[in-house]
Amino acid sequence: MKKKFTTFIRENEWTKPAFGLIAIFLLCVIFSPVSNKGHLIFLKFDNLTNVLRQVSEIGVISVGMTVVILTAGIDLSVGSVLALTATTTAFGLMDWQLGFILTIILGLVTGSLAGFVNGALSSWGRIQPFIATLAMMTAARGFALFISNNNSRNIGFGEGAAPDSFKIFTSSFLGIPFPVFIFIFVTVIFIFLLRKMRLGRYIYAIGSNEEAARLAGLNVSWIRTSAFVFAGLLAGLAGIIHAAQLYQGNPNDGIGFELDAIAAVVIGGTSLMGGRGTMEGTFIGVLIIGLLSNILGLHGIQKDFQLMLKGAIIVAAVLLQERNWRFTIRWPGK
Amino acid sequence: MLEFRNIRKSFSGVEVLHGISFQAEPAKIIAIVGENGAGKSTLMRILSGILPDYQGEIFLNNNLLRARTPRAAEQVGISMIHQELNLVQDLSIGENIFLGKEPTMSLGRVNFSKIFEESDKLLHEFKFPFSSKTKVRNLSVGWQQMVEIAKALRQNANVIIMDEPTSALSESEIILLFEKIRYLKSLGKMVLYISHRLQEVFDLADEIVVLRDGNLMGKFETDKISRDELISLMIGREVAEESTAKTGGNSENLLQVHDLTLTHKNRTILSGINFSLQKGEVLGIAGLLGAGRTELLKFLYGEFPADHSGTISFMGESFIPDNPGKAIGKGIIYLSEDRQREGIFQHHQLIFNSSISALAQFSTVGYIHTSTEKEAVNEKFGELNVRKSSMQQKISTLSGGNQQKVLLSRILLLNPRLLLLDEPTRGIDVGAKQDIYQLIEELSGKGISMIVTSSEIPELMWICHRILVLSQGRQTAILESSKTNSREILHFAFQQV
Repeated sequence: MKKKFTTFIRENEWTKPAFGLIAIFLLCVIFSPVSNKGHLIFLKFDNLTNVLRQVSEIGVISVGMTVVILTAGIDLSVGSVLALTATTTAFGLMDWQLGFILTIILGLVTGSLAGFVNGALSSWGRIQPFIATLAMMTAARGFALFISNNNSRNIGFGEGAAPDSFKIFTSSFLGIPFPVFIFIFVTVIFIFLLRKMRLGRYIYAIGSNEEAARLAGLNVSWIRTSAFVFAGLLAGLAGIIHAAQLYQGNPNDGIGFELDAIAAVVIGGTSLMGGRGTMEGTFIGVLIIGLLSNILGLHGIQKDFQLMLKGAIIVAAVLLQERNWRFTIRWPGK
Repeated sequence: MLEFRNIRKSFSGVEVLHGISFQAEPAKIIAIVGENGAGKSTLMRILSGILPDYQGEIFLNNNLLRARTPRAAEQVGISMIHQELNLVQDLSIGENIFLGKEPTMSLGRVNFSKIFEESDKLLHEFKFPFSSKTKVRNLSVGWQQMVEIAKALRQNANVIIMDEPTSALSESEIILLFEKIRYLKSLGKMVLYISHRLQEVFDLADEIVVLRDGNLMGKFETDKISRDELISLMIGREVAEESTAKTGGNSENLLQVHDLTLTHKNRTILSGINFSLQKGEVLGIAGLLGAGRTELLKFLYGEFPADHSGTISFMGESFIPDNPGKAIGKGIIYLSEDRQREGIFQHHQLIFNSSISALAQFSTVGYIHTSTEKEAVNEKFGELNVRKSSMQQKISTLSGGNQQKVLLSRILLLNPRLLLLDEPTRGIDVGAKQDIYQLIEELSGKGISMIVTSSEIPELMWICHRILVLSQGRQTAILESSKTNSREILHFAFQQV
């Protein structure tokens, strides 16, 4: 039993951030403000679902970011791509009258195309992902501003405007907001991809040792490109959620989202050198960031302090993971 | 005088050195031999300050030595030259020699004229054919090694540790290196020399220290121990040395290479390559470093971007190697000489490392059937006798020999027709080498053809039916193993040099 448990911890890299999540959750409970009825506000169902709803956009982006970082790449363009697809969504619904399905498809295709260009530039153009996606970050923002003529577009409902079906993104089932389901669904799909599918293995392989992967017969260029397409696709999906949450498509939104996503991935224990890390870890990383913002928000602590604390958390998380801290668990009895 | 007293060292609770004690005198070349995992490198890394936590004592000239960092060890005159060289490729020889210890002038400016002047003096003493302003990148690995030695000399090292210095060197470079090592000895330095190659040990060393599984098996004067005694001390069992009767393949031609010439960036890499390979035949490729052995194998695997002329036919069809994926599709598979850089995925599990090329066999529409995969990999690991504690173990925890076996399982899972094995026994211990020789023989019996390179000519004669000799990219001979000898092979290898 003891041996099984310690092997499980050693072999599953995400257990380390999971302990962090549990610790932070407990801290949140302890420091939760108390309502006048004597309840812990933090533990209220509404509050917890709110945490999930707030992180779902960054969460979806982080899933794609994880895939790219596992290939030893980076995607700086996801924030801009989110703004671009939020814009195409608003215009698709309002001005171009594409209807629900086509608008969604337009957003996803736009995101995927941006990702494909990132991947193609990195793979066949041999441009470093950092530079290729930096270019896309600038260009996608510019394209969003071009489409929208520098203005944000509000989404209204009714005749000649958005169809009511689009309200699904702001609805809730069983008290849980729809975007949360999307985030969890996407995470589960990609956990499956990374753990059970060939492509997942290949993604780890090219990030771990590109040279060895090529000599093992893998098509490195296509595998890397597919990782960028996933990142673009998910940034596109996040853009649709974003537009739905705010009832508008704003070409100036999403600034800095790529860095939040990278932070979540890193807190989740994925190495920026590629080849090492897990999607479970990223999910936990996203939740850690969400819980911290929430508990600080509940205490009315302002953004300035929140940001400083977030910086400290990133450093602490990486230090805890990079150093090989040994957790010796002493079991009672022996 | 250097003395080890009862040195013990543990890694995460497992003791790997069990109380090593011996003494060594200056002006001697002392070879440290043992299988992989015997503790040679660990002991030397303790001495050079890389591993500061150990039990026991080391005395240098009767002073207790406790180097906590490599730098501290250097200050008392102990320098280690690693297998992977620690030179800055884009700096000159002189700058590398003085790296971190640059003489300065006012305002902290580096005194370059002094650096180059003193380096040139040192290089002259060392009979270097280069100026100290030459960039290290432009030197061959052999000369880079000499730069490391010069660097150690410059630091007034009295004890120089060399970890497998010849593993990447050609025969002629080795001769040169040995000259320099003997020169160090004549200066009164002590050289501690780790090597797998017994021939070298007997050629070079005054004394031999044998380690096995972290125990000292003894220290011997070179002329008082025979090769066979040494081997049995190292591996603790008798090695079967009987020669196998080598019958060639069974006359069915698999690969035919006719007048192949490769040029890359207007430089001729290979020329006049003519050979045919039968089913089940093992063809060895001999040649000095840089003779084009790796290039030939990589070209056949579609990995070497070069213009070619001449024809290649594989299984009766014309074949132009394009990329590794296509080569694998035809059953042609390459095993790299550089395990760390081109072979293993070091952070990943054994099963990941083994099945990566063959995943298509175990999956439907991209979904991997892990149980089928596990079964197949396990079977191969059994056949290859991989020593592991679990399939989930990371490959970096295995010894070099076992890592190589995992890589062999990777290529064998693909049902190969033609294996291109580039230095398959480099840097692995004697026991694993025997296993690999045996495997090559078995595969040959099953009708799998192989092209094998090795820097050790006796090894090639041992495992191959025929040996193709390359000299500066030219094919100079194809010899029957049973009708030739090392001298003849070397003669052809040096023909174009």
